[in-house]
Amino acid sequence: MFRLGNLPTRLWNMFRKQRLEQDLSAELQAHLDLLTEENIRRGMNPLEAAHAARREFGGVEQTKEMYRERRGLPFLETLLEDVRYALRMLRKSPGFTAVAILTLALGIGANTAIFSVMEAVLLRPLPFPYPERLAMVWENVHLPHYQNDQNTPAPGNFADWKNRNTVFSGIAAIGYRSWNLTGTGEPVRIEGEAFSADIFSVLETYPMLGRAFSAAEDRPGSAHVALLGYGLWANRFAADPNMIGRTMRLDEESYTVIGVMPRGFRFPDPDDQLYVPLALTEEQLANHGSHFLRVVARLRPGVALPQAQSEMEGIAQHLTTQYPDSNTGVGVKLISLEDQRAGNMRRPLLMLSGVAGLLLLMVSANVANLLLARASVRGRELAIRSALGASRARVLRQLLAESLLLSFLGGVLGLAFAFWGINVLRGYAPAEQNLAEVHLNTLVGAFNLGVSLLTGFIFGLFPAFQSARGEVVDKLKEGGRDSASIGRVRTRGLLVVVEMALGVIVLIGAGLLLRSFVRLEQIPLGFRPDDVLTLRVILRGPRYSGLPERTAFYRESVERMQSLPGVRSVGAISFLPLTMQGRTTGIDVEGQARPAPGQVPFADFRSVSPGYFTTMGIPLLEGRDFSWDDAPPSLPVMIVSQTMARNFWPPGDAIGKRIKLGGVNSGAPWVTVVGIVADVRQLELINAPRPAMYLPASQDAGTGDTLRDWVIRASGDPAALGSAMRTAVWAIDPTLPISRIQTMERVRSNYLGPQQFNLALVALFGALALILAAAGLYGVAAYSVQQRGREIGIRMAMGAQARDILRLVLGYGTKLAVLGVAVGSLTALVLTRLVSSLLYGISEHDPLTFVGVAVLLVSVAVMASYIPARRAMRVDPLVALREE
Amino acid sequence: MAPPRGEVLQGTLDLIVLQTLQAMGPLHGYGIARRVQQVSEDLLKLNQGTLYPALLRLEQRGWISSKWGASENNRKAKYYSLTRAGRKQLLAETESWERMTALMARLLGDTEGG
Repeated sequence: MFRLGNLPTRLWNMFRKQRLEQDLSAELQAHLDLLTEENIRRGMNPLEAAHAARREFGGVEQTKEMYRERRGLPFLETLLEDVRYALRMLRKSPGFTAVAILTLALGIGANTAIFSVMEAVLLRPLPFPYPERLAMVWENVHLPHYQNDQNTPAPGNFADWKNRNTVFSGIAAIGYRSWNLTGTGEPVRIEGEAFSADIFSVLETYPMLGRAFSAAEDRPGSAHVALLGYGLWANRFAADPNMIGRTMRLDEESYTVIGVMPRGFRFPDPDDQLYVPLALTEEQLANHGSHFLRVVARLRPGVALPQAQSEMEGIAQHLTTQYPDSNTGVGVKLISLEDQRAGNMRRPLLMLSGVAGLLLLMVSANVANLLLARASVRGRELAIRSALGASRARVLRQLLAESLLLSFLGGVLGLAFAFWGINVLRGYAPAEQNLAEVHLNTLVGAFNLGVSLLTGFIFGLFPAFQSARGEVVDKLKEGGRDSASIGRVRTRGLLVVVEMALGVIVLIGAGLLLRSFVRLEQIPLGFRPDDVLTLRVILRGPRYSGLPERTAFYRESVERMQSLPGVRSVGAISFLPLTMQGRTTGIDVEGQARPAPGQVPFADFRSVSPGYFTTMGIPLLEGRDFSWDDAPPSLPVMIVSQTMARNFWPPGDAIGKRIKLGGVNSGAPWVTVVGIVADVRQLELINAPRPAMYLPASQDAGTGDTLRDWVIRASGDPAALGSAMRTAVWAIDPTLPISRIQTMERVRSNYLGPQQFNLALVALFGALALILAAAGLYGVAAYSVQQRGREIGIRMAMGAQARDILRLVLGYGTKLAVLGVAVGSLTALVLTRLVSSLLYGISEHDPLTFVGVAVLLVSVAVMASYIPARRAMRVDPLVALREE
Repeated sequence: MAPPRGEVLQGTLDLIVLQTLQAMGPLHGYGIARRVQQVSEDLLKLNQGTLYPALLRLEQRGWISSKWGASENNRKAKYYSLTRAGRKQLLAETESWERMTALMARLLGDTEGG
């Protein structure tokens, strides 16, 4: 009978055991003494009296045991005993323990880390009130030569959307800005945004210090005001609470600080540090052709996203009729802010978490396998324990305690792995995958710990039942070869097949990603990134408002850098390749028919300095490079890409032709083609290069482009040139911030970063999967050799050669492997469809990958069973037969 | 199936112990065992050791209390005495026991009569 009221006392009693034991002994001894004395009084001699007393009293130890059971909490006590015993058993076989705990920890660690990232990127609510009602509004552009369903809206479209919609409670525009911040300390480049004043009510988020922009401040020509991001405020201004009302120098102009945004505010980009009013001009608000805003809106309560989408589409159609020149093919697309945040990471993350989940399954199978192997080895030990009176429940509980302890330790170590792994993820993850806010998630950790305990429970219970079931006598007699052990062989074989199949799926995934990454790397870039250093200088402020002043700086900086030791050549461009940035314009090609609305040809354009092509290793195919003499009043010139030349003119005909930027009605001057260069993968790698025009930065073709990125080809290590280049720039103008000093190789790997990162993780998981599969198969093969020692002995005694034994064991292992590979490959055929969007240049059923993985796993399986096979060949038939 | 023997014995033993302490005042384990053997007239063939878990149980329920004292031969022994709750319990048990015996008597009497 167990009463809850006694619980405290009973618990307490567990901790003062020694004292209570002494009391009990004393009490019982007193009883025996009294009894003995009475017996002596009755005339027995002392020895006889003592014996009689004991007889009358009954078993002293039994009494004590019964007493103890009532006194403490026997369940808890035996549990502690179980744990202590389990610890001792685990210590006694360190190899088994280490392997089991490590594999569990790896599986749990990988899962916890990946799920923590997932939680932060996909699941955690955005830090705004009612975040589910926030959406980004994009232009959905669908033209013959240009498709983009997330095109940055033109201010004219934003204005019309705002005036006509009834589905949003508010809609606000955002424009990217960056500044040179000077005045205090080293000049720095800071990035930020220009917000329309509505943004605060749309996001329902306001400055934590000071105030938001007023509607009046959001008009052109009003006084310069700025809101500081928390990071800038804390780092640059030492979190000074009196910042409000102070001024700061941005691009040589004075801004008044009116507030500080709250700490977690990272909208729309995590790197934003400063916010100013957008203050669109009347002219801009009527412009439907220049697309540069981002737009965020809050749905009215009760309005669903599809409903808003359909109303907005109606408005977009209306705008197309109203402005056919600019709005033909321009629709609208709403994306919830939550989906926007997940962005490109959703699929890779789902893939990674799927792989991590498979890995955890493999780990479970492996640990189950190990536990089963152990259960059979310990059959005899357990039989002895039963024979000595341990109840079946007691044996069961003890086995369970061992496996639970194992998975608990694995889980704890796994959490440590996860903690470490998240730090690594954060350090290596490409910048765009903003993982700063990823932390080890306790909920996820607890979940995984739970999973591991469940694994331990299920796979611990299973062998425990099998062991507890067997007939004690059989086990003692046969040395562990009872009917249960045959069942175990079959179970373990099945587990290995499952493990193999899971391993195949993981490895096929890794193989597909690897192959498509190799394909990506093989795409010709059109330039040579090796030995090139890049840095960014942006000219701002009244000092550089004129083209001659800018040109003077370009030329002097290039020439100064060029003269430094270790520098081969120097150039500069407005948008560096592979940084996903660039500008596009409609063009008018002289002598070609006037295009219909929506059919205006487009081309990318960028400004370059003389020497850019040489420095980047971009071959000049025809004509000439620019020189510093291509400046007013000389004739405006351009160099076109190979694709551009091919698209617009017959071969060999491009040089001397003229083009006007901005389309048919633009007032820009005609620009003459003087050269053709090879195609460059400018925006991204995967799609074919688009037509491109290069303009000399020293001429004005009406683009307003300035040079931003300098490229320096070194004769030695490009990274070593950094500080010399800074000195060279500051010798001309010490107020210019210099940022993004990095090698071109680094720019390239940044671009490939996300793919590389995913690949590295999946490859790691693949390697783990391979090891687990090999370990599982090895374990089973070794076990079967041990179990079949007698059979092998008999076979050898009957004349079987070593070769036959080898074939026997290898055959068993290979059979399991082939079965697993077959199951896994078939499953993978279906599953790889889920990753097809992450692949480039290969099919999701890439035969090379499938066959390669199959061959790899089967050969690993053969190797893994070769070791026990050799042991089997060395079996001495006499010893084997006698032993059993 | 008959109820486990222990259950019946336990209730009886409890009652006897409580009654003993009521009648004789504080007593050590040996004294209680003696008394139990006397009154039960071998009805309860018990090892004397069995008494101690029972004493512990009664103490845990708060019906008896214990304290160390000196025995007749000046040895250290643990003396048990009835608590107020124990007295109440004894009263209740006695009543219910009497009701039960009365009921049994009637029941068995009826059976004989019918």
